[in-house]
Amino acid sequence: MSRALPSMLDAERTVDPAGYALGGRAPRMALKPGSADEAALALEAATRDHAAVIAWGAGTRIARDRVPERYDIALDLSGLDRILEYNPEDFTLTAECGATLATLRQTLAARGQELPLESPQAARATLGGTLAANASGPRRLRFGAPRDRILGARIALADGTRIKSGGKVVKNVAGYALHRLLCGARGRWGLFLEASLKLAPGAESRVALLYSIGAGEIADAERWRFLPRLEPAFVTVLGAQAAQELPLQAGLIPPFAMVIGLEDDAAWVAEQERIIAEHLGLPIARLEGEAQAALVQKLTDAELHLSPRVSFTSAHNNPAILAPLISTEGAGQFVHHVLAGRLHWYPRASGTMPAEGSALFAAFGFTVIESVGVRYEPAEPAEGAILALRARIGEALDPIGTLQVPGR
Amino acid sequence: MTSEHLDELRALLGSDGVLDSRAARFTYEADALVLEKHLPDVVVLPRSTDEVSAVVRWARARNLPVTPRGAGTGLAGGATPERGGIVLSVNRMDQLLRLDAERMFAWVQPGLVNLQLSRELSAHGLYYAPDPASQQVSTVGGNVATNAGGPHCLKYGVTMNHVLGLVAVLADGAVVTLGGEAPDAPDFDLASFVVGSEGTLAIATEICVRVLPRPAAVRTMLFDFATVEESCRAVSAVIAAGIIPAAMEIMDQHTVTLVESWLHIGLALDAGAVLLIEADGPAVSIDRQAERIAAIARAQGARSTRLAKDDQERAAIWKGRKSAFGAYGRSASGFYIMDGVVPRTRLAEALAAVYRLCAERGLEAGNVFHAGDGNLHPHVLFDADDPRQQAAALDVSHEILRMCIRMGGTISGEHGVGIEKRPMMRELFAPQDLAAMARARHAFDPEERLNPGKILPGEGESDPGPAQLGGMRVRPDVEGAWI
Repeated sequence: MSRALPSMLDAERTVDPAGYALGGRAPRMALKPGSADEAALALEAATRDHAAVIAWGAGTRIARDRVPERYDIALDLSGLDRILEYNPEDFTLTAECGATLATLRQTLAARGQELPLESPQAARATLGGTLAANASGPRRLRFGAPRDRILGARIALADGTRIKSGGKVVKNVAGYALHRLLCGARGRWGLFLEASLKLAPGAESRVALLYSIGAGEIADAERWRFLPRLEPAFVTVLGAQAAQELPLQAGLIPPFAMVIGLEDDAAWVAEQERIIAEHLGLPIARLEGEAQAALVQKLTDAELHLSPRVSFTSAHNNPAILAPLISTEGAGQFVHHVLAGRLHWYPRASGTMPAEGSALFAAFGFTVIESVGVRYEPAEPAEGAILALRARIGEALDPIGTLQVPGR
Repeated sequence: MTSEHLDELRALLGSDGVLDSRAARFTYEADALVLEKHLPDVVVLPRSTDEVSAVVRWARARNLPVTPRGAGTGLAGGATPERGGIVLSVNRMDQLLRLDAERMFAWVQPGLVNLQLSRELSAHGLYYAPDPASQQVSTVGGNVATNAGGPHCLKYGVTMNHVLGLVAVLADGAVVTLGGEAPDAPDFDLASFVVGSEGTLAIATEICVRVLPRPAAVRTMLFDFATVEESCRAVSAVIAAGIIPAAMEIMDQHTVTLVESWLHIGLALDAGAVLLIEADGPAVSIDRQAERIAAIARAQGARSTRLAKDDQERAAIWKGRKSAFGAYGRSASGFYIMDGVVPRTRLAEALAAVYRLCAERGLEAGNVFHAGDGNLHPHVLFDADDPRQQAAALDVSHEILRMCIRMGGTISGEHGVGIEKRPMMRELFAPQDLAAMARARHAFDPEERLNPGKILPGEGESDPGPAQLGGMRVRPDVEGAWI
């Protein structure tokens, strides 16, 4: 490894690599640049030296159990944390990728605006990590995915070249949307240095309704059919064990809990509550305002609260779809953001799930997105032409293969 | 194109799927950017993903470019076969394949007309939200190519926000599925990269779109102001109050005069600007939202408020807005429509600059725009027989886009870059930005076969823009415009 790397950056920018170990193996070096310039220099040097770089935000979502194929340098971008431009009147924000979601939310809250991104551990989760991981929470349908909110970005390519994609305005079709390509790429092909986002207005009224759900009820598809058309902010179903993490337990009867989130103008929220009560009866608990927001963050955090975990995506929007699967395994341990089409499943033991497991889920329309602490192969491998296309994109943007990603 | 080639294509597509007469080819020589005309060698009309794949593979074996085309309403030359070859029209792939009303998505073919999709969904209380003004004619596939917007994208987002997945044919003929019915895909989001790529990365043959419940209630309001500046301030004030209406559109005096003299719908001829605001949502909240909007507009100087009392009046108000393009077409022998974006808060400033830049060149201009998202559409009028006026119009169009860039905006909000804006890409992006985009494009299409030459300026390309400006081709039979 070239000695040039540390000399390019201030000694302060080199940090203890032990904290960036993956699969029990620490990289040879860990760098924490203080600016986009420094980050680009680090990448340039790494590419020149054929060193493998894994980018880090706060590491809230990185699967630490997997040993990466190649891992020489941890590049911690959480030091790039400034808010660069906030235009409340335009509903746009540009921030460096190391800014935390909590910091951004705080800035926006002062103007009654909402950051339409969700990720567990928002106090630490970074903007860049959230975008790179295509992270989402219960309100995924309401907000969209990160790619629906990103207007443009400044990106560092593997060789340190810095490029711009998109822009800072809410309508833009000029050029190729490399900033969208990188959402979900988890640090492959290019790294976010800064991103511009389309913001959302804050809701006048925020309410969460908590229901206990029995096994028979959850399986009753007719019971839930009205919910998606009502367009609540979110509907989350939890197994009883996950539900115990919630701040409310009064009256919570296993096996399941459902939280329905309503975020809108007050008159419509009241009307939605009325309609929901007509169908489901009164909730056992009701939260509003700050308490509701805290609960939403807990529901978001719930994704990472247990390991091993397998996360799935699905087009289904009726909680009943889960009923046959719940009876087979881990009935107490799942979080299902129904309208977001996202299921987090916590199998009881580590090790490889039987192949029938993923096929079983696939038969019910749940596709593996991620597995942590357990190897869960997707039921269907990616199409050959897609793999070839991805390989060509990799050759085009990172021919040396500098940017590696943690395993999944 | 030899007769052997034509026979081979007919064997793949059937004889009615291949058009090689001069008359047919002339029809496909341009889209709505009529000043760029290039004859294709042949036009094909496949009916399925397999046929599209077969054509692309055939074209590859014979080293011919393929230009995909929807309805050809594009204003940037995106569907123009600049290098000849094959125009691949998706007009025969025009079906709604499958609707899942409960899970609220639909698989459609790319040639399905945008408004037709919403019509077919309406029996289920659903609709497709992206509503470009061309929607009576433009296709979902074409909308995907340009990431089309429209007045209601202010609240509901653009095409990309409503595409869940695609089946697409790549440049080598491979058929791939990008995304799908589920909200997320594992790993990379190639579908959202293809949306807005103007047919240069892949040809979408099946599109999975998100559909939404129809809003329970709608209120359409028209306000008139003494000046454009006041109308822009009203827009900003509404947004600053945390209200995101479904649509906010402004027409300036020039436009209002043209539209009113044609359609007689009761627009105030002495208004500096007319602001159309539409609110939609649950019935229980709609009147309060409409009242708040009207109060803000009045506080910002609205001289009158007109609230549509029924569907007919709502349609009349929108007809006024959507007829702007047609109204311009009747008034001058030539007009050039532009598509730029500035931050919303700088709209009034941008408009003042547009008028000034045009006046400096002795040109008249009108403005119609999606005020809510800062997307302006200046119409520059000129005498099509006067080459100096043509040159001046072309020159001012570049100055207007430069202004948009300086203000932190962009050179295309919804029409696309195509041929028209290609030279301006060097002013918006740095060489390394364009190089990275070119490499990504190359990864999809190493032989540059699909819609070659569009979007990215070529090496050493220095042309200042379209060769000449002629009169814009207007279709008076179609109500609506594509701005």
